[in-house]
Amino acid sequence: MKYLKPMLLIAGVLLLWELAAQSGLWNRLLFPSLVRIGAEFGALAFSAEGLMQAWVSLYRALGGFALAAAVGVFLGMLMGRSPFVAGLLDPLFSGTYAVPKLALFPIFIFVFGIGSLSKVALIFLECLYPIVIMTYHGARDVNRVLLWSAQNMGASRAEILRRVVVPAAAPFIFAGFRVALPVAMIVVVITEMISSADGLGYLVIYTLSSLQTDRMLAVVVAISLVGLALDRALVVLRNRLVYWEKLDAYYV
Amino acid sequence: MQKLARAGLLVALIAAWQVASIGGLPSYLLSPAEIAKEFFTALGSQELYVHAGTSLMRSLPGFLIGSALGIAFGLAAGVSRGFDQTFSPAIFMTYPVPKIVLLPLFMLWFGIGDLSKILIIALACFYPTFINAFYGAKSTRTILVWSALNMGAGRARVFRRIVLPSALPQIFAGLRVSLALSFIVMFATEMINSRSGLGHLIQAAESSLRFDLMYVSLLTIAILGYAGDRLLRLARSHALRWQEAST
Repeated sequence: MKYLKPMLLIAGVLLLWELAAQSGLWNRLLFPSLVRIGAEFGALAFSAEGLMQAWVSLYRALGGFALAAAVGVFLGMLMGRSPFVAGLLDPLFSGTYAVPKLALFPIFIFVFGIGSLSKVALIFLECLYPIVIMTYHGARDVNRVLLWSAQNMGASRAEILRRVVVPAAAPFIFAGFRVALPVAMIVVVITEMISSADGLGYLVIYTLSSLQTDRMLAVVVAISLVGLALDRALVVLRNRLVYWEKLDAYYV
Repeated sequence: MQKLARAGLLVALIAAWQVASIGGLPSYLLSPAEIAKEFFTALGSQELYVHAGTSLMRSLPGFLIGSALGIAFGLAAGVSRGFDQTFSPAIFMTYPVPKIVLLPLFMLWFGIGDLSKILIIALACFYPTFINAFYGAKSTRTILVWSALNMGAGRARVFRRIVLPSALPQIFAGLRVSLALSFIVMFATEMINSRSGLGHLIQAAESSLRFDLMYVSLLTIAILGYAGDRLLRLARSHALRWQEAST
């Protein structure tokens, strides 16, 4: 019962959709029935081609995200532990934070070509901001008493970093990851919709222009599921690694 | 002076870029001086204002509708358990889904004009404001609510005087994310399908190899994004004067 109630709204929306589709008031192209969408989704999920497209998108999103995670955590740590680096880099990051980096995509196409590289570079750039900023805050606000105690007990700088700073900043780092991962999905889909010959975003535009709306919605469902699955996986990983602090959220 | 020193890296980067351009850059990389020159030339023409205006007429209504609904629903879910149990699970579940994929569907339903773009921007802006308003309202200290109730305040008064001020900092954090998102989604929708706006301008400039125009629209969108963020921060520090004073 506890798990049933939250599903009510979703079930209601799906029911309304199916009713609208079956009523025949609207063109079947505008409201494809859930059965059709489900069938198309099945066909997509069990075909080599569908899996290939999903893999291409996933590979771009995760590639950009992984790069941003590595560089972002490194820069954030550096900024958090050294006021000099923070003074140097913080104006750069906070000044360009609100600027939509997506606008750089046409230039990236010229610099990195129309293949995966321009997309991965843009995903990297968009993901870098939340990760750097959250890591910076986490590494900066480490409890000073802990640092002093570690120093007093003779820990070296490397040891302090590994045993005190990194664990203290870990919840913040993962919060940054959780903001950045959906961003990676958004950017990969957008760039594939704008200019690409493969990937799930391309498939959406392709099926739309050939008016296969049931198939298009199946792709939309696939993209949603990938986004959802990545977020879940990240939460599981976080709770494993940062086991000493419960995720401070309501529905997770 | 201190501000100047902090902007040092930015200035150094731009200077290095300018110096590199003397050695000759590929045609798609204009030097900062050239970009500035083209930008001021474009400011004198009407075209840029028309496109910027069209873009803003899409992103701002979308931002306003989406974040107003997000704040209203978020606060409602934060204070009412029934509302929370009905709406929150669905919203939290669909949160990591990239909303831009619904653009093709919206284009079928609402046409390829501005309406589908405004609605998709509103949808994208709804989520961050909902979640922040929700957590903001949830974080209200119960002791304050109890005290107010004890002193005879009604439910409406408790909401207005206790819950709303407690949630306000979080609400502004959500608005900031939404504003940045509204520009991204506006730009994306215009690049995917449009005949006007800054996203269209940059796309058209790219395919006709007009690199000057490309950088002009890039700079315009950057300035708009930055200005919007500044305005929001001003509004925030105005609305949260009491918070600054108390700390």
